[in-house]
Amino acid sequence: MSATCEFQAKDYKSDLKPIWCPGCGDFSVVQGIYRALAAIGRPPHEIAFVSGIGCSSRIPGYTTAYGFNSVHGRSLPIAQGIKLANPDLLVLAAGGDGDGFSIGGGHIAHLIRRNVDITYIVMDNQIYGLTKGQLSPTSQKGRVTCTSRFGSLEEPVNPLLYVLAYGAGFVAQASPTDLAGMAAVIEEAIRYPGFAFVNIQSPCVTYGEEAQQIRGLKAISESLASLGHNPADRLAAMDLAQHYGEKMHLGVFYRNPEPAPTYDALVRERQALLSKDALPKENILDLFIKK
Amino acid sequence: MAIQGIDFANLSLMDALDLAILIEDEAQERYQDFAAQMEQHHTPEAAKFFTYMVENEAKHGRELLARRTQLFGDTPRQVKAAMIFDVEAPDFDEARAFMSAREAMAAALASEVKAHAFFESALPSIKDPDVRALFEELRIEEIEHQELVQLELAKLGKDNGVDGSAYEDEPAAQ
Repeated sequence: MSATCEFQAKDYKSDLKPIWCPGCGDFSVVQGIYRALAAIGRPPHEIAFVSGIGCSSRIPGYTTAYGFNSVHGRSLPIAQGIKLANPDLLVLAAGGDGDGFSIGGGHIAHLIRRNVDITYIVMDNQIYGLTKGQLSPTSQKGRVTCTSRFGSLEEPVNPLLYVLAYGAGFVAQASPTDLAGMAAVIEEAIRYPGFAFVNIQSPCVTYGEEAQQIRGLKAISESLASLGHNPADRLAAMDLAQHYGEKMHLGVFYRNPEPAPTYDALVRERQALLSKDALPKENILDLFIKK
Repeated sequence: MAIQGIDFANLSLMDALDLAILIEDEAQERYQDFAAQMEQHHTPEAAKFFTYMVENEAKHGRELLARRTQLFGDTPRQVKAAMIFDVEAPDFDEARAFMSAREAMAAALASEVKAHAFFESALPSIKDPDVRALFEELRIEEIEHQELVQLELAKLGKDNGVDGSAYEDEPAAQ
């Protein structure tokens, strides 16, 4: 790991121009990420940024970090592989609510239980925007879309409760209604030693409903700090997380005060332990040869 | 619009100047972003106007910085970008695909009104006479900025009354 040095937000901005719809909430998320990375101060070549598929999954390309716009729902396994292969890298994963909680929903639990040191940022817009407005796992019940002409019959996934229930050590929520707050929680998530989850309410200006745009979000937003919430209290966090969809609580829901060792650290420890008795590389084949 | 961790009652002139510079920087950055979005989506008239706003905000920022440097040299800045949000910058979702120059100007005008309201609401809490004078000056400048945008709006001529959104295609699934 290199020594921390002075970086500015612009140092993390690539030359690639975003092709999101003008006004998309994801423009704010990428700004928040630039600011958070500048505050952390790791050089771009020490950062790997992995995404799945969707509008928001274009985000690694807009940064100067190493980026991988991967396969639908598979950002987390790939990010995990990168982290285990090169634990010194700062690894970020990102995607939308469909990518994270539908096709990729099964992966989250395993990264949480392993506590891999990855920051996962979900840009939650409650719709499949890239494919032109179908129901997503976080769409509200009753939502009318092209795949739910008479209103959705399904309850939405509550991403906050989902990750809290699996035991994530760091859970936060942010939105473009407060860029400084968003940058601060992303920074805190990156600094957390273990799996960190940040849900960002990022409005879809093309397929999103009026209430989900910035003005609507401002009307329901409430800072967790102003409520006097103690981020070390997991049960209180779960209680507050139940209001997902009705209120938008911003800030850190939960930060484990005693983080468990990370999987990557445990793997490295195990490798060090086993390597003492390991054969030298040139003799590895001897294991498979009958003498 | 949000301000965090700033006590206006005890704001020094240096901090006030730095705050004003950050406000201009933020607005400049947002308009830059908007201009790029418009260029990317083949909306040159709106892009041109947003670029004009970038230049205006940059000019005001430079003027404030020159004053700050003259008075306080390179004394490290105490206030941080994280302390302000959307004071003079339009909301992220004010940009829209295929927005007309008129719509772009309306968004900028609303932001100048918002900035004026910010300085006006901060004034009663300020005790330092120099800071008060600066905020009063900035408040008046915001009115001048509104006039600048209105001048640009006037150049467009009379609104033809056509609501462009009525001609937009509904987003449809494919």
